[in-house]
Formats: sequence, C-alpha cells, structure tokens
Amino acid sequence: MGQGSGRQERSKKLELATSETMQAEADVQNDKEETRETKNRHEQLRLVFGMADLKNKAIGLYNIGQTCCLNSLLQVFLMNTHFTGILRRITVPPSASQKRRSVPYQMLLLLEMMQCGKQKAVSPSALAYCLSEHRVKLFVQYDAAQLLLTLWNLVKRQVTNAELIEKLSDLYTIWVQEYMVCQECSFETKRNSNMITLPLSMLDSRSHLLKTLEQCLQHFFFPEKLTGCNMCFCENCGKKTPFLQSMKLAHLPQTLILHLKRFYLTESSSIQKLCHYLPFPQGLDFNAVLTEEQCQADAGEKASWQYELFAVVAHSGSTDCGHYCAYVRSLTECKWYCFDDSEVCQVLWDDVKCTYGHSDLHWGQTAYLLVYMKKNPQ
Amino acid sequence: MAQWQELQSLANTSLEQVHQLYSSVALPMEVRQCLADWIEDQNWRQAAEPHSSHAQMLFHSLLALLGDHLGSPGLGDEDFMLKHNLRKARRDLQAAFEECPEKFANLVANLLQEEQQILRLAQAGQQGGVAPAPSTPQQSDRQQEIQRRLADFQAALQDADRAFRHLEDAQDMFDFCYKVHYLPGENRTNDPEYIRQMQGLQAKLQKLDRSRKDVLAQMQQLLGRSETLQDFLQQELGAWRERQQSACLGAHVDTSLLQLETWFTALGEGLFQLLQLLRALGDLRHKVTYERDPLQAELPLLETRLRELLTYLLQNAFVVELQPSMPTSSKRPLVLRTASKFSVRARLLVRLHDRSRRLEAKIHIDRKPPEIRGFRKFNILTSNSKTLVAGDSPQDGLVCDFQHLTLKEQKVGGSGKGSKSPGEGPLAVTEELHLITFTLAYAYRGLELELETSTLPVIIISNNNQLSSAWASILWFNMLSTDPKNQQFFVAPPSAPWPRLAEVLSWQFESVAERGLSKEHLHMLAEKLFGSKPSPESTLAWPKFSKDSTSGFSFWAWLDGILGLLQEHLKQLWKDGLILGFVSRKQEKKLLKGKRTGTFLIRFSESTLGGVTCTWVEHPESGSPAFRAVVPYTASELASLALPDIIHDYQLLAEENIPENPLQFLYPDRARDEAFGPYYSQRQAGSLMEKKEYLNQRLIRVSSRQANESRQADEELVAATQDLQTLQLQPSGPGPLQPMPCSPGTLQLVPGGPEPPLALQVGSGVPELLQPGPGAVEPQLVLQLVPEGQGMLQVGPRSLGTLQMLPRSLEMLQPVPGVQEMQQVGPGDQGTLQAEPGAVEPQLVLQLVPEGQGMLQVGPSSLGTLQVLPRSLEMLQPVPGVQGMQQVGPGDQGTLQLGPGTLEPSVALQLIPEGQGTVQVGPGSLEPLQPLLESLEALEPVTEELDMQEFLQSLSEEPEPGSGVLETLQAAELMPSTLEAGDSRLERLSPRPARECQQPWGGTAGPLLGLTRCVPQAAPHSWTTATRSCPRPTTQPCPP
Repeated sequence: MGQGSGRQERSKKLELATSETMQAEADVQNDKEETRETKNRHEQLRLVFGMADLKNKAIGLYNIGQTCCLNSLLQVFLMNTHFTGILRRITVPPSASQKRRSVPYQMLLLLEMMQCGKQKAVSPSALAYCLSEHRVKLFVQYDAAQLLLTLWNLVKRQVTNAELIEKLSDLYTIWVQEYMVCQECSFETKRNSNMITLPLSMLDSRSHLLKTLEQCLQHFFFPEKLTGCNMCFCENCGKKTPFLQSMKLAHLPQTLILHLKRFYLTESSSIQKLCHYLPFPQGLDFNAVLTEEQCQADAGEKASWQYELFAVVAHSGSTDCGHYCAYVRSLTECKWYCFDDSEVCQVLWDDVKCTYGHSDLHWGQTAYLLVYMKKNPQ
Repeated sequence: MAQWQELQSLANTSLEQVHQLYSSVALPMEVRQCLADWIEDQNWRQAAEPHSSHAQMLFHSLLALLGDHLGSPGLGDEDFMLKHNLRKARRDLQAAFEECPEKFANLVANLLQEEQQILRLAQAGQQGGVAPAPSTPQQSDRQQEIQRRLADFQAALQDADRAFRHLEDAQDMFDFCYKVHYLPGENRTNDPEYIRQMQGLQAKLQKLDRSRKDVLAQMQQLLGRSETLQDFLQQELGAWRERQQSACLGAHVDTSLLQLETWFTALGEGLFQLLQLLRALGDLRHKVTYERDPLQAELPLLETRLRELLTYLLQNAFVVELQPSMPTSSKRPLVLRTASKFSVRARLLVRLHDRSRRLEAKIHIDRKPPEIRGFRKFNILTSNSKTLVAGDSPQDGLVCDFQHLTLKEQKVGGSGKGSKSPGEGPLAVTEELHLITFTLAYAYRGLELELETSTLPVIIISNNNQLSSAWASILWFNMLSTDPKNQQFFVAPPSAPWPRLAEVLSWQFESVAERGLSKEHLHMLAEKLFGSKPSPESTLAWPKFSKDSTSGFSFWAWLDGILGLLQEHLKQLWKDGLILGFVSRKQEKKLLKGKRTGTFLIRFSESTLGGVTCTWVEHPESGSPAFRAVVPYTASELASLALPDIIHDYQLLAEENIPENPLQFLYPDRARDEAFGPYYSQRQAGSLMEKKEYLNQRLIRVSSRQANESRQADEELVAATQDLQTLQLQPSGPGPLQPMPCSPGTLQLVPGGPEPPLALQVGSGVPELLQPGPGAVEPQLVLQLVPEGQGMLQVGPRSLGTLQMLPRSLEMLQPVPGVQEMQQVGPGDQGTLQAEPGAVEPQLVLQLVPEGQGMLQVGPSSLGTLQVLPRSLEMLQPVPGVQGMQQVGPGDQGTLQLGPGTLEPSVALQLIPEGQGTVQVGPGSLEPLQPLLESLEALEPVTEELDMQEFLQSLSEEPEPGSGVLETLQAAELMPSTLEAGDSRLERLSPRPARECQQPWGGTAGPLLGLTRCVPQAAPHSWTTATRSCPRPTTQPCPP
C-alpha cells in the first residue's frame, strides 16, 4: 500500500536526506493480507471518483535528486506490460537485505505502489537507494542510454529464474550479423552479436545531418569501409588490410529501443547537442526501411518487423545540464502520457511530435530514446 | 471564473454527470457549494501526501469554516433545511475522516479533478456545437485544439501560480521555525525537546524540498506543453503566410490576423507570466537554500529554455501584415515603381509592450543584397523609422504603417536610368528581387530583443510598361519559391507544375473580373501550352511562360492582354459567364456543330493581343456546317461600342441576302437578346415620335462576305458615290486592297494598324483611290448611308464616328445589296469627305447635307459637334478646335474634311460655305460655336491657324451660345428653313429601316487624334496625326 511506504528518515543533520527509508518488507506481507480489503475499497473508490483516477494508470514519480532520467526510464519500463508481466513473476528474495539490494524486486514494489496509489505520484526512493548500492549514485546526472543499459543489466543479472531471463532477453535483444570482408583477399569473417539499443548516428559519413529516422537506420546498416588507421588485421593476408564492415539485421525483439545519438564532438572536443529536426514515424516497417541485403532473416521473422511507437525519452537542455521527460503510450488505453517527474498529463501525438527537434530551439525537447513496440505480438 | 460556478452553468447532460459524481461521494454537495471558493483555492493534492500535516490543517479548517457558516446570520429560516444538511455533513465528515484527513484531502483532490474533466468535455462539446453556427467561421481541428490548449495552458499556469504561493507559505513557515528553533551554537544534543524540534525542522525541509521539485516539475510540464502550442501557432502562422501569398496573387482568401494575434498574445502573456514565476522562484532560492537545492540546478535551465521559447515566439510574431503595394495598382502588389508612392505595414502579433518605452521600427531595403552582378541598389527616400503605435483599444494591436514611401535608385557609375544596359547583369530588371526588411527593438519585462521581418520579394520598375512582366515574375516567384527570401530565384527559375499554374492563372481572372477559369478554359490553355495531350504532370518553364514569343507575344503577354480587355470592357459579361473565352478552334467547331444556325459563342482571339471575337455556325442546305468569326475586337473598338451592342446590331452583308444579324443564339441555345438584353446600352426609344432635329445615330458593326467566303468574314466598308459607282474596301486582309475605282467619288480608308491614323475620304473629284492601311488589324468604323428624300447627307456617329449620308434624291441611291456588298449613295455633288474618328474617345457626329437646300451637318453627339451646312459643293474642312485650324477652299468640287479630336473634345468646327448656305458649327461641350453666316461674302477662307482661332473666338462670342452638349444642335434657331426641310425628311425617314452600308475603321489601343489640314481641291490629301493623352477638354485652341 502506498501510504505506508514512504516514511521519512529521521535525520539530525540540517540537510536534505539522501533517501528515505522504506518499510517495504513489512508492507509486502500486509499487502497480501489486505488484498481483499483493498479490492473492496477499489470498488468503492471507483464509485466515488468515477473512472478518472483509478483507471489512469499513469502515476508520476517524484524527483528525489536529479532522478528525472531514472524516472523517465522507469516509466518506460513499468508502462510496458510485457516487461511488468515478467517482473511480476520474479521470485522474492529471501532476506531483507537481499530484498533491499534487488533491483527487479524494488522495481516491482514501485510498480505496486504506483498501481495501488491514489496519488498523482509516488517516490522511487527505495529503488534509488537500492541502485545507489549498485554504484548508480543519486544526485548525478546520467545519460539516459547509459542508465538504461545499466538498469537492464542489473535487472537481468538479478533475476534468478532462467526462464524469465530468457523472456527478458527476448523482449529486448536485437540480433545482428556482423560481416568483415577483407578488401584485398575477400576473406570474410562473420559473427553474431546482440544489443539492447540500436545507436543511430545523426550524421552521415560526410558529417551531413540526416533528415529522418529512416535515413538514420539506413545509414546504420550501410556497409562501412575501414581504411587507414581503421584497418583490421586479416588472418588470410597476414597483415592489416582495408575491410568492408557491414551489418545485417537478424532478429528484432518485441520492444525495440533506438538511441538517437544527438550529439557530436566539436573540434575543441567538447560535446555539442544536435537539435535539428528529425521526424520519426508512429508506425515503422523495417522491411520498407532496409534493403534485402541488409537483412538476414526468414520471411516469418521479417513479417513481424512492424512496429508502433511506444515511448519517447526526451531531453531538454544542453549536454552538461538538462532535463529528461518521457512520453509513453499506455498499452492498455492507447493514450499518450507525458511524465515530467511527479507531473503527469495526458497528451496527444502532436505533443510527442514536439520532440522531433527544432533547429531554432536549442534548449527545447528532443527525442533521445525511441521505444518501438511490435504491432502483433505472437 | 470559479470552477464550481462554471460547472453549474453547464448544459443538462453535463450537470447530470455532476450529480452522479456527487451522489456517491462522501463530500455532500451542500458543503461544496457553501465553501466553493475556499475549496478550490487549497492544494489538496499536496495535502493528500502521506503523513501530511497539511491535510490535517485543511480538514480542520474546513470543519471550522462550516461551523462559521452555520452560525452566520446570512442563513435565515428559509435555509433551515440547508442548515440541517450542513450540520449533518459536518458531523459525518468529522466521523469519517478525523483519523485520516489525508484521505479526505485525496478525495477532494480527485473530486476537483473529476469536475475539471467534466468541464473540459462539456466545453469541447460546446465548441463543437457552436462552430457550425453562421456567425463563427468554421474552425479547423487545429484551431479548436489551439483554443483548448490555450485554455489548458492558462489553467495550468494558474495551478502553478497557486502551487507557487503554497510553496512560498511553506517556505516562510520553515524559515520562521528555523530561525526560532535552530540554535547551532548551543550544545543541546541531549535535550530531547531540541531533538524533537530538529526532527520537525528536518521534516519541514523535506517537505519544502518536495514542494520545490513539484513546482519545478510543473514548470517543466508547462514548458513542454507550450512548445506544442507554439508549434501549433507556428503552423497556423505558416498557413496564414501561405494565404497571404495567395491573396497577393489574387486568390480570395481570408488574411485576417485577428485570431492569430489573439493566440500569440495569449501565449506570450502566459510565457511572460511563467518567466515572472521563475524569477519569483529564484527569489525564494535567495531567501532559503540548502544543499542540493533543486532550484539551483534547474531554474537556470528552465529560464534559458523559456527565454529561448519567448524569443522564438516574438520573432515569429513580427510579421508583414500588408505587403508593399502602390495605391495605383493595388491588385498587383509587390511591384513598385521608382518615385511612386507605396505603403507597407508590419505588425507585432504579441500585443505586449512596455508603455513607457517607444517601440521603434526601422525599414531597410536589401539589407543583405545578394551577390548578383549588376544588382541595382535603392534608397528609401522617406523617413525610415516609425514608432509602433498601440491604439488605445486592444483590437488595434501593435502596428507600424509605413505610407508614402518612395524608392530611388542609387546611381552607380553614371549608369542607371532605372533600366540597365543590356549585359550589365544576368537578371532583367523585372527578375531582380528586392527585400524590404523591418527591424524592431523590443523590450518587455527584462527581455530585450531585436526582431526582424521581411516582405515578400518585390520588383522595382521604373516604367509602367514593365508592370506586366514584373507581375509575371511575382506570380512565378510566389507560386514556386520554397524560400520566401530567395533573391536569387530567377538565376535558375524552376518550372511550374501545370495544376499550380492553372490555379494561379485562375486567380488572375477572379481578381480582375470575379470569375475564375473553368476546367474547360484551363484545358484549352493547357493544350495551347503543352500540345495536344496535356497531363497533370506537365510543367512549364519560365521562359516559355513569359518570354518565348512565336506569335509575336509571350503566353503571359497574351493572357495579360485578355485580362486588360476584361478589366476594361468585358468584366460584367465575363462575370456572368456569357463569354466562353478560352475555346480552341477545334473545340469551338465541336461545340457549335450540333447547334442551329445562328448559334454563336464569344471567345478570346489567339492571334491578337487582347482581342475578343464571335464565332457562329451556319448550316447551309447542303454540305457541312460553316463557322464564321469576325476579326477580333480590341480595347480600342470596345471603347467606342460595347460588345453587347456590337452583338445586338451586328450585320452581315451577304451577297444573296439582305443584311442580317447572324448572331441569334448564344451558345448553347440562349436567345441573343435574352442573354445580352440587360447589357445593351440605353436606346433613345420613342425619340422618333418627338420632334427632333436630328435622327439618333447609332453605331453598328457590319461584316460582309464574299461568295467564296473565307472562314473569317471581313468587315468592309462600302461607300457609294453619286454615280452609283461602288467602292469596296477589304481592309482586314494584310495583303493589298482592292480599290474599286469609281468615278467622282473617292473613298479613302486608312484603318489603323497599331496606331496609324484613320481617314475616310468620300467623293473626291478625281479617280478614286482606295488606300487601306497596311496594318489593317481591325477596322471598325461604321458608315451608314441612308439615302433618302431630298438629298441629305448625314454623317453622324453615335459614339465613334458613324457616318450617315442622305443623298439628295432617292433615285440617286441605288442600294445593290446583292452584288458584292455595295452601297451606292448619290450625294448632290462631288465632294470629298474626310473624317478622322478618334480612337479612344470618339465622339464625332458628322452630318452632311450638301446640295441645294441640302444641309450638311457634321456634329458629334456629345463632344465636338459639327454641323456643316454648305450651300453647294463647296469644300468644307471642319477641323477640331483643338488644333484650331481650318481651311476652306471653295471650288466646284468641295472637300469636306473632318478631324474630330480624339481625347479632347472641344471640337470647334469652322465652316465657310461659299454660297448662301447656312453654316452651323456646334462644338460639343466646351465651346458652343454657332456661326451664323448670313452672307457668303462675310466669309472668307481661312488659311492661317491664328486667323482661325480668331475666327473661332469671334464665333464663340456670338450672342446665342449653345448651352449644352446636344442643345448646341438646336438648328431650329439657326436655320428655321432647313429645319422644316429636315423635319419633313425626318418623318419620312423614320419608319424606314436604314439600309446601311458600313465602313469598318481601324484602330487599336493607342489613342488617336486626327488632325485635318487644309486640302486643296482634288489634291492628294495630307494628314497629320498627333497623339493626345489628356482627356481634359480645352477651351482654347492651341496651335500644334
């Protein structure tokens, strides 16, 4: 139950407490006992409040110290019913300290809080505290793509059930085949690799701005010549030779995360943000974007490459200071929500489109992570 | 308005929802009603936080307020029930929520949210319901969305403001407690009371921190939403810019800025409010700050983002409301002429400014001139800065209206007389695009910006004759340029897709004559441009549109000629759809083939610049149908006789028929008079009944055609001489004419090409010479000869030099309609008649009544009336007064020369008859001349111009000046005897339909002025022409 969870730490120092203790352990037990009662009360509340609050599953997360990035990512994870379906099946760690240290478990608790709560926002302090034990510090600005990987790895590592691990991997992992062809002897090496996000460059090989998401994807799968200092050692030739490096798409997961690398290194080697206009579609068909040669998959696999936008993690500000917010389309209601920490509001596709970027607005919101969802999950 | 009041004013269906909402809720409606304002003003959301002391406080405040209310005297006996209910509610609430006030807070928070939801839905529904009402124009989805979002934005702003005030309160409270309780100097760590206070302080700080973060999140969200709103406004503004561009090209679209101004101002106001809130938050930070204060990290970011957004909004809000245009050609803006005045207006759509500061806008031309060789440079001559005026009423807006601006070219190295020498630059003058830019120093609430906006590119010409091609460039640019500031556009102008071009061309017709081009019209144009099979993908290159001239003029020149013709003469006919207009010959045949004989259509000439013609169909008894068309009429002809009148009176002289009007039915099958009746000019019906000195004249058009008729029936002039000899003119052909010699009479026709003078000579004593003008484009003079009675020759154009001749005796007139369309008229003697009708304002009436009691009258009906009454065959030379010369050479064979003034109607006519004749000279408007020549001796030929002037003056000093236009022709006073004769003739004449023989006269657009000089008898006549453009009548004749 939400109201029991956030008791504040009694701190003697006059400074902001870094985290709030949590009595989640006890609450879980209470939860089960109170289930029936809760249900009844839900019914009651439904009558009292109409449908507005309870049906609205979009609950904000308080910013507890530069956690806008974490909050945005959590919303993207927790609004994903495929993910929460897996999360709900995890085995509860036996000891209290293990519980405190388990990221998936804390995520589950947070989810419960959000779903039961009648408040507009809950505090992710327990989870934040848990993460800080895994070297994800509070009061530090993170890069969303980086934090996403960290979160993902922590969750995957701490889920004990092999079947669930498998499912989690299936849910997020992209498989590609990498080809390296020696340009001198045509010696070819091939290997399979996987990734959680497709890091898409915003610039083409001649440093021109790419105009659309589709172009970025095409550019990503476009073969690249490795020459000069990028030459690789060819076993066949026995020396460093120019290589042609290409990637073929083998498998796309249910939840596909695209990472728009909206930054570039200036000559003075400072990182600048790219704010230019880059539209992305609501529906994405990879068969239309990639050519035959760029795919390495059977027809059944390819037929499933129909995606619909599910979430956008948007960044505003510059590279060294900024703010993250998340636009997520509720899978149950099919409505878009914008999550600005504790502020949640229902928005329209037009609001999401505002994250396309604008060359005149350097501080405005720009999409940073795009999460696409397969249209017809098998 | 308060939410609760708004709710109550909703429609029934929504009210039902409210009732449902409250039917099961723990908060009775009475309480809600009773404490509406207070409830709405509290931050229930925040109070709903677990363990919030705020909830406790709110709950007890509510109970206390209820108690106050119950005790207030305002509730009388009639409210007994209400009192009871309130008391019960108070008791119930206390029982239910005493232990958990935060639940109560949550309940109220949700309740308010629910109410808002109902309100929003209802208002959206209302807007949807109101939109179709006639008073409000249809709003697009986007416009409704903007309205809705603006309302949401303002509501959210109020929320944020409220949250800010609560934050302020919380901070003050914390600050107070902190100052009172926190005593770091004393070591009281063992004092449990102190520890408790420190813990309380810590909790308060925690809460303060959360409130701050909450407010910041709210600001973030607000900024995010306003970005979307800004995006919407940007799209609307873009749509407006497009509409303005279309409107410049002649489209009828709404270019009002009112709505946009309201929106921009609302958003601007909201953002400035937000900026103030952010600053106030900054102040809060200065008062209390702590480690990891969220305000410290996030405020600067938020403010930067907000400032950027505001800057962007303001920059876009500065627009050119009225594109530069000259008042003289307001339908063709963006074309400016040096040294001519033009005006332009800029507006700042965000109606916010600091009243204590002047907002000064500056105007510049070509701030960043493009790098094009030979690009002309201009200066704006008048003051280049102006203060933005904000009218007292908010509707006026922030406007700077630049009027009376003029441009002057900067002289570069001696060259530059407006037009550049060839090869000076790659662009012609009419392809050189200039930009006029406004800058505005804007300052408001600490935000200082320089705003800038530019007009659409303008073309600067130095001469009016460049207007047409300049306009073509403007059309092309605005139709095709993707960048509204691309001054290099004509370095490589793109081709125009036909559908777009078609639309723009249609606008031209719409703006000139209120009727666009139909699908059929456009099809014909497309065929003309792209050959037989035009497709929607066809594109037209710029040179092909404006420059290539296989037929002597470019496509645009041709079209613009038609536009000019429409504007001047055919507006109403075109508007009412009587002109089919653009019909190819092939199509024309197809259309007319199935129609009955006499069906005609009106179309624009493809071979003539600005010409319109009629084509009709004839079905001979055998063989395929024949299609005939007259030589196109141009502006100069239509100026004298309107097209409906031409159609009404049109005559065709066919060899085997009596003259008839072949134009019977307007395509497809409308009777001619039914279709054109409303457009006929007023006839003086019934005039024949009255006793009138003169017949009304009327100008008609006649064509004749040969047996082996060509497709095009030529208009001809036929005149006859006394000896029944026939002249025939076929001036329309470019080739040589066929002079038909006839004895004593000579008919000379010099129809105008582009601008040659026209001359008609009738009846010289020498062998006839027929001289058609070489240009012979469209001869359009009508000569009417009505032989009748006692030899009266009347030449009187109704408007443009119609000649009527009434030969002396009936026998002498032998109309031979059958044979080669000739008319024969026998005047009493041999004479030369020379007439020069004016082209532009032809207002000559010529009446000749030679011979015996004969009367020769030359008199235009309104301006420049001539009346010539020679006794016998004297030579008459009426000369318009402007030129003021006249020469009369008496002799056996008289010559009559008429030269009415073109534009200057003060025609004075001098007559010097030799015999006992009466001479009457009646000029039209200005100088009523009434020469009363009692004896022949009194008159002598005047050969000198000056003498003539004196003569004229002397004439004008006669005691009986005519007072008006037509009154001048009061011949009765002057010539009682002649009048009687005339009257009798009139009576005889009147019932008889005039047999007409007509002479088409040439003449095109240029104004013509004929000037007649003395012509010695039987001599080759010399002519002088001059062009006059001043339409003002002159009283004083001035020597040329």
